[in-house]
Amino acid sequence: MEDLVIELFSCTYRMDLAGIKKYLEQLWREYQVIINGKPNWKQINRARAILYFIGHIYPEWIAVQSLERRVRFIKPSITLDLLLIAVDRNDKKVMKKYQRSEVFQKLVQYYKIVKNIKNRVVNGTYLDEATFNKRYKKLQPKDYY
Amino acid sequence: MITGRVTIINSSADYYRIKRPTIVVAIKTHPDIVLAIKYVQAIVTELNNKLCHAAIIAREYDIPIVMGVEGVTKEFKTGDKVTVDIKRKMIWKTW
Repeated sequence: MEDLVIELFSCTYRMDLAGIKKYLEQLWREYQVIINGKPNWKQINRARAILYFIGHIYPEWIAVQSLERRVRFIKPSITLDLLLIAVDRNDKKVMKKYQRSEVFQKLVQYYKIVKNIKNRVVNGTYLDEATFNKRYKKLQPKDYY
Repeated sequence: MITGRVTIINSSADYYRIKRPTIVVAIKTHPDIVLAIKYVQAIVTELNNKLCHAAIIAREYDIPIVMGVEGVTKEFKTGDKVTVDIKRKMIWKTW
């Protein structure tokens, strides 16, 4: 995971969308393999770390900051809120206005990649948290604090 | 401003009980909110982030949202009549 996270950060700095997608998907796959296998206490905590990273830290901190930092390079100027609304409501007027803005298009794609991971629903919960929680509870030592 | 009855969300099962227009109050939202989305007048959450699930859902379904209201799930109970001021990010009981 350590290398994947570092690579993901590196891709994020460069806005390498293919790399970002690749490493997020790799983390997601590793998480799935762990929770759907027969993990031990150490492995399930690795899954916990991945879940926290791809479900919270990356989208809600890293991605938000990455978007905030770059949105000011879009011309004509647009706020991050308006960009996100345009994507989530598929606002054709805004999309058309910025169709030639490379930065806008890249940030839109970036947001879609992050949202795709963040909003992934498996077994009725985001990022299959239900399965994870079930496994985690079973493996949790009695003297865990 | 939006006035309505509160539904406190403690688990996903709470969304299944929503059968009339309501103001959803939660720490964070769950995928099952979409089952009750046509009844959701507004969302009030304790978490506050542009990319949290509640924010995304609110944008996608054009639902007013107030985020970052600390302790809101303890402050109100299901059935309370409240007013939500989206611009000022406030919620208060209405009599």
